[in-house]
Amino acid sequence: MLRHATAPDSTQRSDLVSRGQQAAVSLYACTALFTVALACLAGGCSKSDNPQSPQGSDLSSVPPSEYPLPTATDAARFLNQASFGATEAEVNKLRTYGYSAWLEDQFSTPGRSHEAYINAVSASLPAGQSLNDSHVMNTFWREAATGQDQLRRRVAFALSQIFVVSLQDSTVSEFKRGVASYLDILGRNAFGNYRQLLNEVTLHPMMGLYLSHLRNRKEDPARNRVPDQNYAREVMQLFSIGLYELNPDGTPKLVGGQPVETYDSGDIVGLSRVFTGFSWAGSDKSDTRFNGGGTQDPDREVLFMQSYPSFHSISEKRFLTAVIPAGATADPDGDLRIALDTIASHPNVGPFISRQLIQRLVTSNPTPAYVARVAQAFGAGRFTSGLWTTGTGQRGDLRATVAAILLDPEARTAARLADPGFGKVREPVLRVAHWMRAFNARSASGNFLLGVTDDATTSLGQSAMRSPTVFNFYRPGYVPPNTSIATAGLVAPELQIVNEISVVGYSNFMLSAVQNGLGSGSPRDIQPDYTAELALADNADLLIDRVSLLLTAGSMSAATRTIVRDAVNSIAMPATNQATARQNRVRLAVFFTLSSPDYLVQK
Amino acid sequence: MRASRRQFLKTASLMSMAGVAGPFALNLAAIGAASAQTAPGYRAIVCLFLYGGNDQTNTLIPYDQPSYDQYLAARDTIAIARGQLTATATGAVASQGGREFAFHPALTSFKTRWDEGKLAVVANVGPLVVPTTKTQYSNRSVPLPPKLFSHNDQQSVWQAQAPLGEGAKLGWGGRIGDLLASRNANAQFTCISAGGNAVFLSGQNVIQYQVGSSGPVAISGISGNLYNSPSAAGAYRSLITGTSANLFENELGVITNRSITLNQLLSANLPPASTFPLPTPTSNLASQLNVVARIISARGALGTNRQVFLVSLGGFDNHDFLLTQHIQQLTIANAAVNAFYGWLVQMGVQNDVTIFTASDFGRTLTSNGDGSDHGWGSHHFVLGGSVLGHEIYGTFPATTFGTSVDVGQGNMVPGIAVDQYAATFARWLGVSDTDVPLVLPNVVNFGTSRYLAFL
Repeated sequence: MLRHATAPDSTQRSDLVSRGQQAAVSLYACTALFTVALACLAGGCSKSDNPQSPQGSDLSSVPPSEYPLPTATDAARFLNQASFGATEAEVNKLRTYGYSAWLEDQFSTPGRSHEAYINAVSASLPAGQSLNDSHVMNTFWREAATGQDQLRRRVAFALSQIFVVSLQDSTVSEFKRGVASYLDILGRNAFGNYRQLLNEVTLHPMMGLYLSHLRNRKEDPARNRVPDQNYAREVMQLFSIGLYELNPDGTPKLVGGQPVETYDSGDIVGLSRVFTGFSWAGSDKSDTRFNGGGTQDPDREVLFMQSYPSFHSISEKRFLTAVIPAGATADPDGDLRIALDTIASHPNVGPFISRQLIQRLVTSNPTPAYVARVAQAFGAGRFTSGLWTTGTGQRGDLRATVAAILLDPEARTAARLADPGFGKVREPVLRVAHWMRAFNARSASGNFLLGVTDDATTSLGQSAMRSPTVFNFYRPGYVPPNTSIATAGLVAPELQIVNEISVVGYSNFMLSAVQNGLGSGSPRDIQPDYTAELALADNADLLIDRVSLLLTAGSMSAATRTIVRDAVNSIAMPATNQATARQNRVRLAVFFTLSSPDYLVQK
Repeated sequence: MRASRRQFLKTASLMSMAGVAGPFALNLAAIGAASAQTAPGYRAIVCLFLYGGNDQTNTLIPYDQPSYDQYLAARDTIAIARGQLTATATGAVASQGGREFAFHPALTSFKTRWDEGKLAVVANVGPLVVPTTKTQYSNRSVPLPPKLFSHNDQQSVWQAQAPLGEGAKLGWGGRIGDLLASRNANAQFTCISAGGNAVFLSGQNVIQYQVGSSGPVAISGISGNLYNSPSAAGAYRSLITGTSANLFENELGVITNRSITLNQLLSANLPPASTFPLPTPTSNLASQLNVVARIISARGALGTNRQVFLVSLGGFDNHDFLLTQHIQQLTIANAAVNAFYGWLVQMGVQNDVTIFTASDFGRTLTSNGDGSDHGWGSHHFVLGGSVLGHEIYGTFPATTFGTSVDVGQGNMVPGIAVDQYAATFARWLGVSDTDVPLVLPNVVNFGTSRYLAFL
């Protein structure tokens, strides 16, 4: 009944699954996913958090990394970088098995498909109703809060901020299922290979719509028409190499004191010819189908684009180090392979992608040496820490890259906490997801009905998959003007969306969330479970210890702690009606901590 | 109350001897005083930034038959039919050799303002470092703005005081603010964005203040009972406005403190949003302009005399669906700007407020089938009671290929620099001749044609 079109065995992408993706891809076998999704929609899965790891019995056999078993605070700190936020269960698991085993476990933990969720929702919609953006948001929130494959989710969210596709685009927003499928390919490739990821990103119809290479046609000199240059430009500027030649440590190469541009308008013209002749998948390659008309494949929004040779340029294509000579026959797939091979093998890719992933997961201002170490793992496709090694050995291995990011001394050494420029401002989506996780938030519907959270005045000023532009919510090089951050020569990407409005929106949003939960419905669909905190509520210090561990990895400053303690103690424990007092004491501790700089900056 | 330049230097040297930056307000007062401004009364500029790179060729279309034929031949399937342009045609423009033009059919109110002499067009304006010819561009024989044709960088280049790409820290609106903030009772209301974070409004001292399109909103947690605690609200305010050794933590406190302080001032002084009824179709841009109007309306109570605003509208990166999407965005802009001008008239300040457009870049003249790609020079609009309108400033190039400004695909090397466009607003607001290069260091490269004649 359900044709899960993005499954890798589909004929449209038989040529795509060539680079070490088979293992990860198989986790997304459609039947299993669909079953899981249905079970969840029936209310089954939100009650079954933290089941035993599928690899649980094997974890103790994973060779140890260079680090000893972490303390509770070290474990929580790691989890704030490697997941949507620490939970008591994950802290305990990590302390038991150590970093390498936790990572191996995550690498092999299957995930639920966003697309399968959307399909199930779509099938159950009452007549006359159609999918909307909230459905895509809900599956994102559900997985962020309760997904077992947390590392994959967190990396996929980071990738969604590099390889941006946005529902804010009026064309893309017609295809909720397509966007869910796009988010799935990011998750599916999160521990795969960059080259394969680039291929799937390039050929996904949502990217094709967003950056307009879907339906892009060859030049027609007689009509002054040239190929659309949008994807050619952004795939180089944003998805792979950036504007300037980089050293292996991510710093710009300087020649005569000046940076060296990686490409110019000529490269854009050449590359734009490659991205012609791709459009909707379907059973034929007719002009009508190319143009989006006729009988559309019902799954076209989740099928990789197919090539239409008659619309593909046969002119010479000269870009970067490649020259594809003019030919008599159009070869869109062959040209695409050469183009993506050329881009993916550019020496910039390792440092360019590594630095941004570090910024999303660990810190806004990694040292060049940190970037170089991660880029080295990206290039070698392998990462070793202690007795543990991971990766396929193929350039662009993202498993090795992610491990290198998370197990780098710069990420792990607690001494970095004292560096005034270390850490990153948490983006709003992470803040809310962590609140849900830390307090085991349950969704009454099982669907995490939080929806779109764009409005900065009344909400978060950010929703996954709803970036304003392909340049993401913020830029990796953003420097907040007139600040001590700028004076120190640092960047602070996430501060680009922190302003006089957003601080109001966030505070008021969480004030209400802490007390009333979040999402639609009455009572609201998403409710925190403060049972463990209520049990400690009579003792402010014990209560704060727990909240601080879960939310700030135990890094709450003395000054913050004093304020939180005073606030908690401002509610005296009365002789009667103690339950209400305890509730308010917990709310104060949680709300204050969620608002504290100690929480808002992940260190 | 004007301090002399000598006083400024004395203050500055005292601050430098102290080894620390002086208090914010002192800095502003000192620097503002040094520019010795003289213009009286209230004046403000409003930048309408069209994010994505507005397609200038379909915004102001050549209309006389020979020019239109060139346009039609150049644009293939993305040309607007001449028959749709009748109502918005300008008639012959003497400064352009008697050629005729037409506003995009959606820009009916722009045409009305043109007819009233309140709207001017600035043709082929864009980032330059020095006056540049096509040959000089091709040979790279003069310095050029960095990273031409890249969205984020060219947004920054347009907004920054000098052509700097992403990461620029000073905007020309902010530098104007630095020099004029001392004319305001509260310097922090000098540079205000209702259109999102933009480097345009960042000065050396002036800080961009961002307001929401719905106006001021308070942080609930800092007042009243907080989860039944009578005292926690005060503690909460300390918590979220505190200082920290960590630079990111500290900055969050700075922003929150500013938010609380300025929100209280605005809440106490702004008229309700309904004072300025929103137009049809309404839009977020109309709401942004609504809050700008409310702030202008409160200028007496807030003690503001010089302000720089930014509002924005996205959706202009029309690589695809140019004909259908461009008209939607321009329809929004048309209604919102028309309403805003009406509100200025309602307040009687239409001669004191000037609105102008800016955008990432112009777009290619070539069609890619159903859209256009990233370009360089573009045409922009200036609107207000003080504008010498019903005129096109600069030279509107022929809409065809191979012209003396065509650097490929009909992309135009600008004939007018953003610096000249910007300097004209700076001077009108009251920045002195000698201080304009403090706002726009490269403007000196444009010799005696530093200003344009529209203001």
